[in-house]
Amino acid sequence: MGFQKFARGTAAMALVMGAATAAQAEPLKIALVETLSGPQASTGLLYRDAVKYQIGKINEAGGFGGEPIELLEFDNQGGPVGAADRVRAAISEGATVILQGSSSAVAGQVTEDVRKYNLRNAGNEVIYINLGGEAMELTGSKCHYYHFRTSPNAAIRVNTLLDGMKEADVLGDNVYAMNQNYSWGVDVQDNTVAAADRLGFTVVEQTLHDVNKIQDFSPYVQRIQAADADTVITGNWSNDLLLLMKAASGAGIDARFGTAFLDQPGNIGNAGAVAEGHFLSAPFNPEVNPEETAPFMEDYKSVTGHYPSYVEPATVFGMMLLQEALKEVEPTENGLNAADLAVALENATAETPMGTISMRGADHQAILPMIVQEVSLDAQYKADDTEYGFVPIKVISAADAEQPVQDSCQMKRPG
Amino acid sequence: MKYAPLLLLVTVAVLIALPWLVSGSMLNAAVQMLIAALFAMAFGLLCGQAGMLSFGHAAYFGVGAFAAVHAMNAFGGEGLLPTPLLPLVGGATGLVSGLLAGYFSTKRTGVYFAMITLALAELLHALAPHLKTVFGGEAGVSSFRMPAWGIGFGSLNDVYFLTLVWTLLCIGLLYLFSKTPLGRLALGLRENAHRLRFLGYNTHALGTLIFAISAMFAGIAGALQSMNIEAANYVVLESHISTAVVLNSFIGGVRVFLGPAIGGAVMTFFGHVTSDLTRVWLLYQGIIFVLVMMFLPRGLVGELVERIRNPSGEGLARTLSTLLARLVSLAIAAFGAVFLIEFLQRFLSPEYRAGVTDGNWPDIALFSYDWAPLSVLPWAFGLGLFGIGIALVTMVNRRVAARKEAQA
Repeated sequence: MGFQKFARGTAAMALVMGAATAAQAEPLKIALVETLSGPQASTGLLYRDAVKYQIGKINEAGGFGGEPIELLEFDNQGGPVGAADRVRAAISEGATVILQGSSSAVAGQVTEDVRKYNLRNAGNEVIYINLGGEAMELTGSKCHYYHFRTSPNAAIRVNTLLDGMKEADVLGDNVYAMNQNYSWGVDVQDNTVAAADRLGFTVVEQTLHDVNKIQDFSPYVQRIQAADADTVITGNWSNDLLLLMKAASGAGIDARFGTAFLDQPGNIGNAGAVAEGHFLSAPFNPEVNPEETAPFMEDYKSVTGHYPSYVEPATVFGMMLLQEALKEVEPTENGLNAADLAVALENATAETPMGTISMRGADHQAILPMIVQEVSLDAQYKADDTEYGFVPIKVISAADAEQPVQDSCQMKRPG
Repeated sequence: MKYAPLLLLVTVAVLIALPWLVSGSMLNAAVQMLIAALFAMAFGLLCGQAGMLSFGHAAYFGVGAFAAVHAMNAFGGEGLLPTPLLPLVGGATGLVSGLLAGYFSTKRTGVYFAMITLALAELLHALAPHLKTVFGGEAGVSSFRMPAWGIGFGSLNDVYFLTLVWTLLCIGLLYLFSKTPLGRLALGLRENAHRLRFLGYNTHALGTLIFAISAMFAGIAGALQSMNIEAANYVVLESHISTAVVLNSFIGGVRVFLGPAIGGAVMTFFGHVTSDLTRVWLLYQGIIFVLVMMFLPRGLVGELVERIRNPSGEGLARTLSTLLARLVSLAIAAFGAVFLIEFLQRFLSPEYRAGVTDGNWPDIALFSYDWAPLSVLPWAFGLGLFGIGIALVTMVNRRVAARKEAQA
């Protein structure tokens, strides 16, 4: 009798305590493994600003499971070795979601580390949200179930850019593909060539040049001139883009540039009038849908001190996708179960100022609207304190921007 | 130096017990410290013992890393090359590439030698992004450590012990090498290559051989790294990897045997700890290098060995008290400087600037106090501590100098 009462009492206690732990779930930890120091830090810090901004929003809306989300920051020191180290540190500190974006080299390391960790620790998986590594193979031969890319990739960038320029009637018949000789540049070139038949232009010449080594682009500009190109499609970034545009302007050729990264901070400030009339395809433009975009711009500025630009808007939208997915997930007593979140993320859609974005289940590539835009004096929001900014030419809906799943992606699904 | 074997034994014992002593994150740092130590030792053989300053050692490190990763994929941890023996592939590739590169670069000495090593490394670095099948493109080549010999190699502990065994083995081999006639000749090459040639030695062959052996150990270090992170990416060939090993070796002391290893380990640890604490850790790293080069040109270990070999003749108590006084005053100055730098960095950061509205400057939290940036207090505090520290150091130095003069 005495024992029975005791046993019943203990069972009741255990039940109550179990319920208590379930209600008081572990706070969700999200780790940002970015390049926060050294020469490449400027982009990494933009990712950090955007991630902090949107996690602040998620926490204002109640966080996850009633607890605010904890953001852990790790400095990957700019390379894959530091990133591998920091991913381990992040996981050992209890992070279930890892965010990174500023380099495809680091992204390649992080996605593989996460894949291997999940193989070795079934039941305790972690999720990697790739905010900006745009290399095709990350959703191609390297794709796996726990990797999600929320940024566009080379195929989306190039095809939307060409579509928009074609529709604005500025593409012309002769297109020159000028790119940096590594995987990204090759991806851009391949996609340009592949679109030629569909859009009815000829690729007059393809050039792959050294990455960040060339100081004088005039020989390349001469080839553009000799090929009589109307448009130059380039995936170049940083100095390779600036020097190429300056050399072209110096030689007085009027070929129009279609670019992927013209909005990187400093580019317009550096190029000035040289950039006028050139095109860009990006997931954001502040003049699209002003009723929703303008408040977003101002709110972002009030929190971070600057208007969102370059990778920041897409990062915020990617985090919105995570926010929507988290709403669909119930916390377990050990906090977030990554497998549940992966299912929710696969089916997530989010309403952004640019339109609806969603995650594609087949290869975990985000399907997002892209805005083809032109550098112009008429822009409402100026870039880099110059008189130039980006004017939207065409908004390409998420459905139209979508590109087919790569055959090389053989995703193993659990179960 | 009669305590050296005992000290060595204790160090090895601590290293073996480390997985039970420290957290996972620190063990992870320890793996990288060991790899950096071995890489620096390989560099030290070339630069410290043979006096050939190479600015392109990342090439051999990288070649070893890629060889190991490809071998890991080809053999799957079985057959002729089970997982624990994979560093041999890195070593062999390093040796072969070192023989080739060494043949060309050791035809010249001094600055010209350094230029050739730099050029060869840059050649590889420029070539790598173009050879996607070998170097894997931007996302790199990745691999998977397979179990072998009944060990899983999935956990960090397994990786740590693998790295530890290889690093200790290689450092031991390097020590033995320095005692061989060839190792002795390396010193001759450093001190006076002309005389060596007059004595009938083929200095070019000698230089090539030492270069190749150094490259071999660099290759083993590279292999250990790619086994640790289970991947290799062509950024490993970047020039800053070459620079880091030069800095690490010189900070440790390139002319004493374990100097480079300790330099590599200490600076890797420094980066590991500080990079998550502050955004300006690279600045501190640079300041440390400049200070070491200015005031301890023999390096940290080099200076220590020198002090032990040539005691100041003042007795242990006095030496220790002077050392303590110096360290304390330096710590005060360092704290003042760190405070100033961190305060300035926070003050100038865009996040802080975003919070400033209409001349209202919010307080800055630093070292668990809130400081008003417009008051004189934080600036005076930092500058004051720095000044007091420097003044104390000068005072100690003057007293030591005065004592020496009195003795003389």
